[in-house]
Amino acid sequence: MKKEQTLSIIKPDAVEKNKIGAILSRFENAGLRIAAARFLQMSKKEAEAFYAVHRERPFFGDLTSFLASGPILALVLEGENAVLKNRDLMGATDPKKAAPGTIRADFAASIDENAVHGSDSLENAEAEIDFFFAEDEVCAPRFALKMAQKGGCGNHSCGCH
Amino acid sequence: MAEETFSMIKPDAVATHHIGDILAIFEKNGLEIVDLKMVRLSKQEAQNFYSVHAERPFYGDLVNYVTSGPVVAFVLKGDNAVQKARELIGATDPKKAAPGTIRALYGTSVEANAIHGSDSIDNAKIEIKAFFPSN
Repeated sequence: MKKEQTLSIIKPDAVEKNKIGAILSRFENAGLRIAAARFLQMSKKEAEAFYAVHRERPFFGDLTSFLASGPILALVLEGENAVLKNRDLMGATDPKKAAPGTIRADFAASIDENAVHGSDSLENAEAEIDFFFAEDEVCAPRFALKMAQKGGCGNHSCGCH
Repeated sequence: MAEETFSMIKPDAVATHHIGDILAIFEKNGLEIVDLKMVRLSKQEAQNFYSVHAERPFYGDLVNYVTSGPVVAFVLKGDNAVQKARELIGATDPKKAAPGTIRALYGTSVEANAIHGSDSIDNAKIEIKAFFPSN
């Protein structure tokens, strides 16, 4: 199976509830390695840029306001089938419909405050990773997936290898 | 009194996939994560960070070890955060660390002991500033 990278965000509600460790354990125990992590507070403008694909949807305002409402943890997860595996671990967008044992079933309160974001495709994962992380911030101690695909670290101080 | 302390998950515990387990121990014990980043330290950064140990025989090994893979640096906030974090972390040598402490659970040797934690409020301030200049 192919190694992939996907973007995950632990949203303001889960950060506020001190569930960062509990959620990261779900990923690590399922074979997804944390390859990059950064704690940050987004502005409303940044949240709108991140969710630009949803700009025309009725929930766009609420979605972006919520993402900018408190600090978040942006993550790159790496492993076999990382995009799909992360989505399975997260569960359905609406926590009420999320399967038992998924992150949203266990930690989310509502469809807005649903604890985590995860990329929905390999293509979007790449764009979302680029949104939060410079190439040399994505650490790959055992295999340098993205760097290898792009022909190595070049002149960067390729810190993570 | 609410204070802040600095902690860093070392390359051994990152490689053994215990980032979440370790952060959860702090969060369950009333310490809040208020900043965090995953980085790989350069040799120079590690030398600066451990400069207080520069004359000690283990300094070279310590610097080599902590630059051997990515680390997760973070700031914890809460009542008596410095002391509380040290209690949760346990003794430097995992063999001597009390049962249930982070080092007893996830450390394997004095060197590969899973985690660093500030030893005083003053050093916490210095270490936080070194990793999170805008904090």
